[in-house]
Amino acid sequence: MNDFTFVFYSIRARILNCFLSIFLISFGVSLAIIIIQFGNNISNRINADGKNIDLVVGAKGSPLQLVLSSIYHVDIPNGNIPFAKAQKIMGHPQIKNAIPLALGDNWKGYRIVGTSFDYLELYDAKIESGRLWNKEFEIVAGASIEIDLNSEIIGSHGLTSSAISHENEKYKVVGFLERTGTVLDRLLLTDVNSVLEIHGHKKIEVSHEIEGHETHEEGHDEHHENKIESDKNHHHEHSGHNKQYDSQHNIDKDSASEITALIIQTKSPLANINLPNLINKDSELLVANPAMEIVRLSAILGFGSNSLGIISLVLIIISILSIFTGLAGNLESRMSDLAILRALGYTKFRIFKILSLEGTLLVIFGLILGLVFGIGGLKVLTEFINPLNETKIEFQLEVKTLYVLLTVFFSGFLASLIPAYKNSKLSVANQLSGNI
Amino acid sequence: MLDFNKKSTIIVLFFFLFFKRLSIMTFLNIQDIELKIESKTLLKRQNFELRKGKNLLILGPSGSGKTTLLNIMAGLLKPSSGDVVFQEKKYSILSESEIDSIRAKSFGFIFQKIHLLKHLSIKQNILLATNNKFSKNITELTSKLDISDKLDEKAMNISMGEAQRVAIARGLANNPEIVFADEPTSSLDDDNTRNFLDLIFSLTNENDSSLVVCTHDKRIIKSFDNILELTI
Repeated sequence: MNDFTFVFYSIRARILNCFLSIFLISFGVSLAIIIIQFGNNISNRINADGKNIDLVVGAKGSPLQLVLSSIYHVDIPNGNIPFAKAQKIMGHPQIKNAIPLALGDNWKGYRIVGTSFDYLELYDAKIESGRLWNKEFEIVAGASIEIDLNSEIIGSHGLTSSAISHENEKYKVVGFLERTGTVLDRLLLTDVNSVLEIHGHKKIEVSHEIEGHETHEEGHDEHHENKIESDKNHHHEHSGHNKQYDSQHNIDKDSASEITALIIQTKSPLANINLPNLINKDSELLVANPAMEIVRLSAILGFGSNSLGIISLVLIIISILSIFTGLAGNLESRMSDLAILRALGYTKFRIFKILSLEGTLLVIFGLILGLVFGIGGLKVLTEFINPLNETKIEFQLEVKTLYVLLTVFFSGFLASLIPAYKNSKLSVANQLSGNI
Repeated sequence: MLDFNKKSTIIVLFFFLFFKRLSIMTFLNIQDIELKIESKTLLKRQNFELRKGKNLLILGPSGSGKTTLLNIMAGLLKPSSGDVVFQEKKYSILSESEIDSIRAKSFGFIFQKIHLLKHLSIKQNILLATNNKFSKNITELTSKLDISDKLDEKAMNISMGEAQRVAIARGLANNPEIVFADEPTSSLDDDNTRNFLDLIFSLTNENDSSLVVCTHDKRIIKSFDNILELTI
C-alpha cells in the first residue's frame, strides 16, 4: 500500500486524537483570521472615513468625541456652534473647503445628517438610484440602509433609537447612494436646513461655493463643479432645476442658527497647525485634528486587539503543540508497528516521511477547517450581531492572513518532524525482541 | 586437437561457472559473527553457510542469542565483529538503505506474536510487504492459506489461526529468497505445529526459498536440513 493510504488509515485509527489536534488548529486559526479581518476592516474604515479631512470644528469638549461624532458618527456631539462663527472660519483664506454638519436625529439608529453636497463629494459618492435632494425634507440614503425609494420616514430625536419622534415633519427618501465603503453607507443625508428647521433653528443658505472660495485653485473648482454637475444633471431629469442648489455664494448670516460641526480641508499642512491655535481661542469653539485623535484612539483600542491577538497566538501554539504531543504521544503504541515496517524493508527515510506526512496532513486539515470557520464566523458575526452587521465586513485574503496561515503550516510541519525523526531512528531489533 | 586458446577459454569458462554456482549455492554466509554490548556477550562467535533452497534451524535455550543471530542475518542488527554475506554482498560495506532494500526484496518475516497492524485490513497487511502489488502469486497464496474470503476484514476481527496464516502470507508475499521465522510454533500445540510446518515447508519449497527458524522447540528438529545449536 502506498504511504498516503497508510497515513489515511493511521489517522482514521486514532481519529479522536487527530480530531482534537485539527480542532485546536482550526480554532486558533479561525480566531486569528477573525481578529485580523476585523482589525483590517476597522483600520480601513478609519482611514476611508477620515480621508481628506484635515480638521473638525465643533463645540468645546472632548476633541476625540468631536472626531468620533462628526467624522465616524459613533458618538454624541459635544454640542452646537453658532453658524455665524462657523461662517467666519469658512471664510479663512487657509481653508480650501468647509462642510457644515447638522446632527440631532436618527431613523432606526441611522443618523440623519444635514449637510451640503460637498459632503458627498468628499467621499466620491454617486447616486445609485433616484436623485439628490433638491429641497428640504428630502433624504438620500446610504447603501447599507434598507428602505424603499419614495417612502416617508419620521426622524427620532437623538442619535440612537428613541421614543421621541418628530411626528410633524416627515422626510421623503428620494435617492440611494452607491456603496462607498465609508461612513456614508450608513447615513441618511439631507439638506442642512431640514435638520435646522426641525429643531427650530433659522435656515441658512448653503451653496457649493462658500465664502472665501474665490481663492480656490482653478483645478479644484473644475473638479468640484464637474462632480456635482453630474449629480445635478441627474436630478434635473427628475425634478427640474432648483436655483437654491446652484452656485449661490452667500450663507445667510443669521446669528440664531447653529450647526453641529464643520469639516475642514485646509490648503496646506501648515494651516493644520495654525488654524487650531486661532480657533481654539474662541470660548465656544474647539478644533480637533482627526489624525491625532485616531492615533490616540488606536493606542486605546490597540490594547484590546493586541490581547485578542495574543489569545489567538496562544491557541495556535497550543494547537501546534497538540500535533507534537499527538504524534509523540503515540510513539510507544506505534513503535512495534513501525518496527514491523522497518523489518519489512521500509527505510528510515520512508518511516520519517510517513510520520511527517501524517503531522502535515493534520496541519493542512486544521488550516482548511480554520479558514472555513474563520470566514464563516466572520459572516455570522457581521450578519447577525448588532452593530457588527453595519460594518458589512467581507473576508479578504491579504498578506497578514496569508502570513498567519503560512506560519501555522510551517510551525505544524516542524512540530511533526521531531517525533517523525525520533520514530524513524528506533532500534528495530530491540523493538521486535520486545514484542516477539 | 584443441589449440591453446580454445583450451584456456574452456578452463576459464569452467572456473567461472563453478564459482558462480558455488556462490549461488552458499548465498548466505555468516562469518565469525559475534555480538557484545559493553562487556556482556549476547552472541558467541558463529560461522555458518546457508545454501539456496535449504533450511536452517537455530536451536538453543532462552538467552543463547537465537533472535539476535536471526536479526543479524536479516540485517536488523549490526554485529560487534564478523560479517554477513548475502549473494556476494557484505553487509559491512552496504549502506543501511541498501540492506533495507535487500530485506524488502529478498527476505520475508514471520514473527512469534504475528503482529499484524490491527487498523488495516488483511489485504493491506499483506500489501505492506509487496510495495502495493497484489499479484496473481499472492492471490494463489491467500487461496492456499484459505484466507481469500477474509481479505477485506480488519486484522483485529479475525481468529488467531487466521492471523497466523495471514502472517505467513505476508512473510511470503514478496517471493522472498529467505524466510526468517522467530519462534513460530512456541504457542502452538502438536497438531497445529505439524500443520504450520507442513504449510510453510510446502510454500517455501514451491518458491525455492530458504527457511531460517529460530526456536527452543525441539519438536521440530527433524524437519530441518541444518541445525545450528547455540549455548549460553
